[in-house]
Amino acid sequence: MFTNSQPFRLITALLLSLLPMLASAGTWQHEQGTLTLDEPPKRVISLNWAATETLLLLGVTPVGVADRDGYSVWVKEPELPNGVYDIGARVAPSLEAIAELKPDLIVTSSEMAPAAQLLEQIAPTYVISAYQEGSQPFDKAREMLLTLGAMLDREERAQAILADIEQTLDTQRQRLEKAGLTDRPVALVNFLDDRHVRIYAPNGLYQRALDGLGLTNAWSRKGNFWGFSVVGLEAIAPYEDSRVVVISPTLPGLSDNLANSPFWTYLPPVKREQIYQIDATWPFGGVFPIKRLAKQLTDSLLEGGSDNVR
Amino acid sequence: MYADTSTLPIAAVILWLGALFASATPWLNQLDPIAILSAFWTFNPDQYASVLAHHSWAPRVSIAMLIGCGLGLAGAVTQQILGNPLASPTTLGVEAGGQFGITVATLFAPGLLAFSPDLAAIGGGLLAIGLVIALTWRLGFSPVTVILAGLVITFFLGAMNMAFLLLKGEWLGNLYIWGAGSLVQNNWGPFMDLWPRVLVLAILMLLLMRPLQLLQLGQASASSLGARVGLIRVLALLLVVLMSTTVVSRVGVVAFVGLAAPVLARLLGARTLGSRLLWSTVMGGGLLLLADTLAHWASTWGDGSLVPTGTTTALIGGPVILLALQGIRNTHHMPGQESSPAGFQPKRRSPVMISGVIVTLLLATIVISMGWSPGLDDWNWTPITQWHEAWVWRGPRLLAATLAGVALGLAGTLIQRMTGNPMGSPEMLGISGGAALVMVMIVLSGLEVGRLGQLGAATLGAAAALGLLILLARKHRFAGNQLLLGGLALYVFMDAGLRLVMASGGTVAAQLLNWMYGSTWLTSESEAFGLMAFIVLICGFLCLVVRPLTLLPLGDTSASALGLPVAKARLLLLLVAAVLTASATVVIGPLSFVGLIAPHLARVLGQQTVGRQMIAAALVGGLLLAAADYLSRIVVYPGQLPAGLLAALVGGVYFLWGLSRHGRA
Repeated sequence: MFTNSQPFRLITALLLSLLPMLASAGTWQHEQGTLTLDEPPKRVISLNWAATETLLLLGVTPVGVADRDGYSVWVKEPELPNGVYDIGARVAPSLEAIAELKPDLIVTSSEMAPAAQLLEQIAPTYVISAYQEGSQPFDKAREMLLTLGAMLDREERAQAILADIEQTLDTQRQRLEKAGLTDRPVALVNFLDDRHVRIYAPNGLYQRALDGLGLTNAWSRKGNFWGFSVVGLEAIAPYEDSRVVVISPTLPGLSDNLANSPFWTYLPPVKREQIYQIDATWPFGGVFPIKRLAKQLTDSLLEGGSDNVR
Repeated sequence: MYADTSTLPIAAVILWLGALFASATPWLNQLDPIAILSAFWTFNPDQYASVLAHHSWAPRVSIAMLIGCGLGLAGAVTQQILGNPLASPTTLGVEAGGQFGITVATLFAPGLLAFSPDLAAIGGGLLAIGLVIALTWRLGFSPVTVILAGLVITFFLGAMNMAFLLLKGEWLGNLYIWGAGSLVQNNWGPFMDLWPRVLVLAILMLLLMRPLQLLQLGQASASSLGARVGLIRVLALLLVVLMSTTVVSRVGVVAFVGLAAPVLARLLGARTLGSRLLWSTVMGGGLLLLADTLAHWASTWGDGSLVPTGTTTALIGGPVILLALQGIRNTHHMPGQESSPAGFQPKRRSPVMISGVIVTLLLATIVISMGWSPGLDDWNWTPITQWHEAWVWRGPRLLAATLAGVALGLAGTLIQRMTGNPMGSPEMLGISGGAALVMVMIVLSGLEVGRLGQLGAATLGAAAALGLLILLARKHRFAGNQLLLGGLALYVFMDAGLRLVMASGGTVAAQLLNWMYGSTWLTSESEAFGLMAFIVLICGFLCLVVRPLTLLPLGDTSASALGLPVAKARLLLLLVAAVLTASATVVIGPLSFVGLIAPHLARVLGQQTVGRQMIAAALVGGLLLAAADYLSRIVVYPGQLPAGLLAALVGGVYFLWGLSRHGRA
């Protein structure tokens, strides 16, 4: 009986030795094909800021990212460490620079579809687009986080990040509910100049933060696939009941121009002093901006509004 | 041949009343007609709709009329100065200059913009026209050279604007809107600032009317009557610039009103200078009001996002130009095309020597491009033994760019020879515009297409544009100016789409702009070789058609008399030019303007006969784009600029230098 167990043990031992590899190796379906990895990638390159943010959240520092300097200005958090190479613009990265870094995984979106074959020549490419026609950005960003977590052998961390975001949303919602501040709708806008704003639509990333906080989006129409619409300032006039949250940055001189415009001073939210302003948050990122936005939005609503932008 | 003169006032009244009524319609269910009318001077603070009407709708309507009138007048004066219905403040580089001014101010002196948006735009506009004047002064400031220099300045400054948008897009959110033109208002301030200035400029323009009338007689006769032709032109041009930049500084680029209004006035029968100026002004106001109303309506349909007025002016301007195509009969209405550029006949040079020099330069460019390149840490020289490794990333794009340049050089020469108009080029013919239009629509619809899809779409667009052109131009036996106008109309439509994309979101626009200015980096090896086989084939064919090309510019009668089936020859050459353009457009985008520049460079280099000009233009085009591709890869490494944009910059600089140097000789 024991003699029979000899090959069995051998097989068990072999299987056991394979286990750590199996945990991370695998095949994934993505938007433009399948991707097979034999071991967790060490040298990852990301071609957009949402992917960069997700990698950093997972504690993986990419070897190269697209538009590195812009990331530090517009996305800011999580911070990009020094020593990461810049591999060019997000719309037109330098293939030669990517190849020179000898990556073992490239993360990109379907925007790069025309370059898909060229990228595949360099390294396995994972294609996921949070921002495209018909997608729900947060769900896609979540999927990206979990899939990259699995590929990079950091699934627990990915789960913890998501739990943390849910936790933040819950806490902040309770703060708002306690103060009785959840009933009036909120319009989230960026001023482009003194006549036009970008207004964030229900199909955008920010909607997840509003949902989580128990707030209603004043703007109910679908935006472009990035989740916003560019509108004239008069387009927010019909939403007389809503509060207006202005996301920085604004151009210099804006508050003076608005103060001189009777149109603005007669605007019902302005009359009620319900104009709020929060720091810049990247609206086209992964899951992390939700946490940032939820905190800032709650703080600013609790602090109280004014009758103009700062 | 012309409509009766009495139709003009009727048409104007219908246009104005129709547009006004359409504009007021959305308010009818909130306010009574008296209240709507009185919104222009008063409002009821207790009724929010009335506040909105007085502070948002009424100033918008007023400013639309004011700006439309100003641009219409400026357009009519421009056409009078330059004697060419294709001329407008836009083609003189004024709007590109204005945008350049605003871009630079936004990036480097945001305080200035807050202080006064006009200064930046006017400064930019003056810079543009200053360059045009400086370049053409020595050449006696003749209309054709002014138009040419204006076009090149437009492309040059336009390319600079695009470079800024691509590199600093996030910082320039306001520019996407400004570039698309939006008349949204929320107080009376801008209108009150503008109307006295527009009035003063209009009066000054009218004071120049008599001297302007003399220009119609032609340079020689006008001079003999004691008119200082150059001075009058400069003065009038300055006024045009001031008018255009003053009005656009507040609302952004509302293109083509200055082009469409005079064309419409002329179509409806305005003949004397006085009536042209008057009715262009009136029509301009009506057109812009109509366009703005459409834009406002369109903004409330769909998802509520802003449809910029620049889009609808282009949508209206296109058909007007197409109408002109049917109405403006003959070439004598286009003096610009007849007089070959004054003093633009450089001394002939040996074709072997010139070709030799260009080929040597081309080879040098190839060697440097393959070998000397920046890496992530520092620059290094790739030895020839390792070129096969570097080839994957540097070779196909270089080859494709060079071939695209050759194709555009050939197509440009064909078209300029065929139309006999120095403004003729594949870009101006609208073939690249057709290809681009399809791409714009794809981006607007949010579809993600692969490389093959892009190729197919561009070819389809170019073919459709060509089909449309043939259909339109058949009546006129494919005569040059009708083609150019038709092409311009197509370009206008493309522009409308582009402005819509630009206004709707920076990030999408950046992707599109990249393609528009040429994404050589996407070229694969097989595409490059496919293109090469194709171009070789076409070159072989072109050797056979040198004769018709020599004969066509002699005029229809002489060409027929010499045994040439004129219409058929034109159709054939047109097809060849279209196919060449489509293949190049896929690689380099529709806006490189190599097709315009290369044939001129060939002439500057002293290659006058058809065959020689064609060879030189092909080589120059290839060299230009090869160099542009190399530069696009290295100047902002690891970022890259679109090669077509650099070609426009490099080619533009050389072209301007050639123009001014020749003037000195």
